[in-house]
Amino acid sequence: MAYYVNRTVKLTFWEKIYLPEIIRGMIITSRHFFINLFGFIPFLVGKKKERKIFTVYYPEEMVDYPIAYRGRPVLAVNEKGNFNCVACGLCEAACPAYCIDITPGCNSGKQNELERFPDKFSIDYAICIFCGNCEEACPEEAIFMSNDCEISMLDRRKMKYDKEQLATPISELKDRVEFVRNMNAKWNFKN
Amino acid sequence: MLLDFFITLLKVLFVLGVTVGFFAPILTWVERKQSAIMQDRIGANRADILGFRALGLFHIMADGLKMFTKEDFIPRGANPVLHTLSPIVALIPAIITFTVVPFGGVYDLFGKEVNLVIADLDVGLLFVFAIASIATYGYVIAGWSSNNNWSLLGSMRTTAQMISYEVTMGLTIIGVLMVYESMKLTEIGAAQESFFDWGIFLQPLGFIMFLTASIAENKRIPFDAPEAESELVAGYFTEYSGLKFGMFFMAEFIEMVTISAIVTILFFGAWHIPFITTASLLSLFDFLGTTGSNLVVMLIHVGVFFTKVVFFIWFQMTIRWTLPRFRYDQIMDLGWKILLPLSLANILVTGLILI
Repeated sequence: MAYYVNRTVKLTFWEKIYLPEIIRGMIITSRHFFINLFGFIPFLVGKKKERKIFTVYYPEEMVDYPIAYRGRPVLAVNEKGNFNCVACGLCEAACPAYCIDITPGCNSGKQNELERFPDKFSIDYAICIFCGNCEEACPEEAIFMSNDCEISMLDRRKMKYDKEQLATPISELKDRVEFVRNMNAKWNFKN
Repeated sequence: MLLDFFITLLKVLFVLGVTVGFFAPILTWVERKQSAIMQDRIGANRADILGFRALGLFHIMADGLKMFTKEDFIPRGANPVLHTLSPIVALIPAIITFTVVPFGGVYDLFGKEVNLVIADLDVGLLFVFAIASIATYGYVIAGWSSNNNWSLLGSMRTTAQMISYEVTMGLTIIGVLMVYESMKLTEIGAAQESFFDWGIFLQPLGFIMFLTASIAENKRIPFDAPEAESELVAGYFTEYSGLKFGMFFMAEFIEMVTISAIVTILFFGAWHIPFITTASLLSLFDFLGTTGSNLVVMLIHVGVFFTKVVFFIWFQMTIRWTLPRFRYDQIMDLGWKILLPLSLANILVTGLILI
C-alpha cells in the first residue's frame, strides 16, 4: 500500500512566516552550544564532571558501573593470601557455558596446612557468558563478578585465564561481597 | 610601480592565506566540533601527534593526508576531461571572489595610500555575483560528467536552486545599491561609518533575504537538496574521490567565508566599530605619528572585520545544525513565491522612502 505524507498540517500565521520559529530553534541550539562551550573550560582545567556533555572520553575517562554489574568473574584471595576457593566444583557444575575448569589440589597431610584448594583453576572468557551463576553457586565466597569488562584481545587462546591471573584481593571486592550477601539473604539462603 | 606591485602581492598572499590557508581547513574542524558541542557530544578528538591532541585539530592534517593519498577515481562512461575540470571550476571562483572584497579601509602608510582590497573595481558587487555564478557551472558539470543518476539529479537540482535564488540575491542587493548609491564594495563599506548607517538598519528585510539566498547559493542545510545525503547519496559529487572531492569541500567552506564577508560589508558595517569613527581612532593613537597610528588602526579594522566574518560563519553553522532540510517543492516555493515578491517589495519601499 502506498504511503501518503499528510500535507494538510495547519500552521498558524506565526509559524508560516518561518522566521520566529527559526530564531526559536536557533536559540535552543545556541543555548546548548554556549552552555557546553563554557562547560568545557572547567574540563580543560581538570574538573572532569562539571560539563553537561554526557559522552565520556572512554579510555581516559571511565563510567562508574553499578555494583550489580556483572563483569568478568574473578577469584577472591583472602587476607592470608590464600584462595577462598575450596575446589568443590559447584561453580563448574553451575556454569551453563562450561567455561570453568577446576583441578583440586591436595596437601601433604601435615598439620596447619590448607586442607582444600584448587590446583588449577581456569576460566575461558571467550566462552563465559557472564551470567553470574558461578557466583550464586559458590558456598565459600570465592568467586565474584568484578566490574572489569575490558577483556578483548587479539588471541583467543589468551582469553583463558589461569589461577594467578584470576586472583584478586578480597579488599577490592568488598562492595560486591556485601551485595552478594544481601542478595543471598533476600533469597533466604543460609550463608 | 614596484612598490604597488609588492603591496598588491602582499594583499593577495594575505587573502589566500586567510581563505585557503586558514579558514578552509579550520572550518572543517569547527563544523565537526561545533555540531558536536551543540548536540551535547564531544566531537573529533582522536587524532594525536606524540600524545598531543589539541582538541582534535590534527584531524585537519589527517583529512588532508587521507585526501592526498586516496585513489583519484573516474567512473566508467564518465567524461574524464569535464570530470576533472568541474572541481576546479567550482573552487577557483570561490577564491577569486575575494579579490574585490575589502577587509579594511584606506590607510596612509609611509606616505602612500594603501587600500585594503586587491582590486577596487567600480562594479565590485556585480563582479562578486558574476564570478559566483560561474561556480554553478562547476557543480552542474560535475553531476553531468560523472555518468551517475544521483549526480545528474543533484546537478539538476543545483541548477534549479541557483536560478531561483540568484534572482532574489540580485534583487536584494539593488536595495543596498539604492541606499549607498555605489557599486564599489569599498565605498559601501566606508559609507557605514556611523552605527545607524549600517545596512541592517537601512535594509533589515534585505539582510534576512540576502542571508537566506546566499545560504541557498552555498547549498548548505537547510537548502542542501542538491547534495542531500538521504536522497541522492551525495548529489553532484557522488562519483568524486580524493583531492577532487576535497576541492568541492574546500569550495563550500571558502564560499561560506565569502558570504560572511559580503554580508559583513553590505549589512554589518564592514570594518567599522559601532560608535567609534575612524577619525577618533586615529586621534587616539596620534602619539605614534601618522604611519604608526594608521598602522594600528589598520590592524584594528582588519581584526574587527574578521571578527564579524567569524561571527557570521558561526551563525551559518548554527543554522546548518539547527534546521532540517527543506523539501524540493518547499525550496522552490520559498524562492519564487515568498522571497522574490518580498525582494521586489523591498526595492519598491526603499525607493519610496528615498524619494
